[in-house]
Amino acid sequence: MHRKILWALAITAVALLAGACTTPTPETIVEQVVVTEIVEVEGETTVVEVEVTAVPGRCAPMDHAGLEKIQIGATAPLSAPGSVTGGNVMQVAFSIAEDEINTAGGVLGLPINIILNDTEGLPERGTAVMERMITQDCVVAVVGEYHSAVGLTMKEVASKYHVPTVFAETYNDNITADMHPEVFRIAPTSTFTAEMDAKWLSEVGDYNGDGETFIVIVAENTGYGTGQVEKADKAFPEFGLTHETFFADLPTLDFAPIVARINALDTTPDAILIKVTGETSYNLQQQLYEGGIDISETIVVANQVALNDDEFWQNVPDGNFAVIPRIGPWTSSVSGPGADFVEAYRARVGRFPEAYAFEAYDSLHLMADAINRAGSLDPDAIIAALESANFEGAAGTITFPYGIDNPPEAAGVPNYLWHQWPDVPLLFLQYTESGQSSDDLTVIWPAEYRTSDGAIIRP
Amino acid sequence: MLIFDQCIESIAYLATLLTNGLIMGIIYALMALGLTLIFSVLGIVNFSHGELYMLGGFAAFFLLDTFEGLNPILAIIFAGIVTFVIGAVFERIFLRPMHEGKVQRTGEYAILVTFGFAFFLQYLTVATIGPFPFKASRFLDMVIKPLFGVITVFQTRVVAAAIALVLIAILLWFIQRTWTGRGLRAVSQDKDAAAVTGINPLRMNNFAFGLGAALAGMSGAVLVQVFSWTFNVGIPAASKSYVVIVLGGMGSIPGALLGGLIVGAVESLGTGCFPDPSRGLAYQSAFGLVIFALVLLIRPQGLFGRKL
Repeated sequence: MHRKILWALAITAVALLAGACTTPTPETIVEQVVVTEIVEVEGETTVVEVEVTAVPGRCAPMDHAGLEKIQIGATAPLSAPGSVTGGNVMQVAFSIAEDEINTAGGVLGLPINIILNDTEGLPERGTAVMERMITQDCVVAVVGEYHSAVGLTMKEVASKYHVPTVFAETYNDNITADMHPEVFRIAPTSTFTAEMDAKWLSEVGDYNGDGETFIVIVAENTGYGTGQVEKADKAFPEFGLTHETFFADLPTLDFAPIVARINALDTTPDAILIKVTGETSYNLQQQLYEGGIDISETIVVANQVALNDDEFWQNVPDGNFAVIPRIGPWTSSVSGPGADFVEAYRARVGRFPEAYAFEAYDSLHLMADAINRAGSLDPDAIIAALESANFEGAAGTITFPYGIDNPPEAAGVPNYLWHQWPDVPLLFLQYTESGQSSDDLTVIWPAEYRTSDGAIIRP
Repeated sequence: MLIFDQCIESIAYLATLLTNGLIMGIIYALMALGLTLIFSVLGIVNFSHGELYMLGGFAAFFLLDTFEGLNPILAIIFAGIVTFVIGAVFERIFLRPMHEGKVQRTGEYAILVTFGFAFFLQYLTVATIGPFPFKASRFLDMVIKPLFGVITVFQTRVVAAAIALVLIAILLWFIQRTWTGRGLRAVSQDKDAAAVTGINPLRMNNFAFGLGAALAGMSGAVLVQVFSWTFNVGIPAASKSYVVIVLGGMGSIPGALLGGLIVGAVESLGTGCFPDPSRGLAYQSAFGLVIFALVLLIRPQGLFGRKL
């Protein structure tokens, strides 16, 4: 009896040691399985065996035969502390795209069903909704998201379950820089926007004529804000700009101490960049004016929410001559599918679509196009189709030049360009009249789209 | 450097921070008064205080938006009436059973029911008004020059603080000089003794909750011209109010006033004088919480609270 127990213990110990010495199980287990498909060709039934990839836990079908609809996951912040304004706009854009796709015959001949999940702007919530969509709702792909911090966690889940994902409005470079095969992005990266700021500001030069081009950045303490500042820290010195940064938690209401601090700086800033989103950016901007920032000496660069003109003038009545970065096309540059989307969006919301509306709309259309071209729900086929995309979207022609076939390292470009649309339209616009409609904004940068005489219009 | 050098070298800079901090403090005090009134009479913390504040702002905004040129004072009174009615009805339906002995574990019940009411009001607002920010026009269209030529103040806040001071004065007069006010004070001190003298504690509970809600609503109405107004604007306001009333002493009106001023001044000076310019604003709420923690350690009942 004792001998049997000793043997059992010895075998257990050896097994544990062997287990400990083997290579750890990778987080992503992709195994080849054989699926039997019944294919009907001109009345003849043929049984074929198809090798496809499957990932434990993921419940999406590999093939669309027998399906009634195709489930596609979508995420947006629909509750606080996320940007509810942004989330609601994305929801409308998804809905328009879904209607258009289904009216045009759906995907692979089947209607699509969008399962929209609220991420609340919380990274942990992003992880949870991705897990649920992939393991319970059986989505074949995921699109959307607004907050970078959420996107950073979502991409790991997309990679774990091998689910093609197109991020819509997440700027943080690391979302694509980790080079997950499943992860694509049509929003600009933080580096793009930081370089956009630096290029335009260096063109404007010494606005207040004090011999120095000095910029103040007020950024939110989130993935978006810190990502923007990190890239500005790198890009600004390369363009001869000096800068100082102030971080704010969301939602901050009272910016008076920081306005006092900016006023007390030794050098008057040539520009103040507001890297704060939503209504907090309105509070900050109006308080800058009320706190004594002189717009003849300092340019105030608003957040892109300032393009909602009615909302902007109500919340920032002193905001004339504010400059606004614009991601995506503008009234003067939109055409083709973009013009149709603008019309549909105006019919529902009554204004020109925000950047994230374009991005949400395009992300779903792009994914539908990729699944159609892939001809199946196999994630590898969808990823290959996305990599080869040359998709005429509302915001422009979307392509992904760097990916599995053309890795960034081999092409000599930074890793964040992996599965990244490199030609996102980036503009600077400026209000020049109090109460002005955003449709009439002047394009001040870049030169090829410019409708003003120079890179800035002075009050 | 332990402190931003301007805080030592420039009196004007320090005075600007302090003045703006005290102005914010008056606004914090008004926010917190309703909360402390409800606590002193009903003995509960109203977790829907921020949402009543939010509703008051929206009530004033939509009235001013509908009737262009309307005197803002009327909008503030309207906001007070709307939130008073909402508060009184809520108290009658959901809190009265607690005081009639029909609810067990009243402490937990009060927390849950006021939290639930807060979520209900928030999501009802999103569903009906939407998540987009609104803001009323300035109540007074005038320019305030820098005080003594160097202290820059914010016009809308000065107007809000002035109205807040008037409202606080009216409240103090009401509490001290009227029969109902004395009744509220009596119930807050001893319900049974108050009942013996002919005061109906249940009626006072209802009135106190309505009045607390009206104070929250009127403070929202005063501030809807200062800050962008959304369905979730009440969350930071409420959390600030909790700090203020615990600091001043739960249930103490003078405590709420002093607590508001201290929190406003400390937050402003802390943010403006923190040595790392990039982090001062990120720690804004933390500065108030440090004072809050210190007071709790040294004087747990708060500045004006009854000894625990």
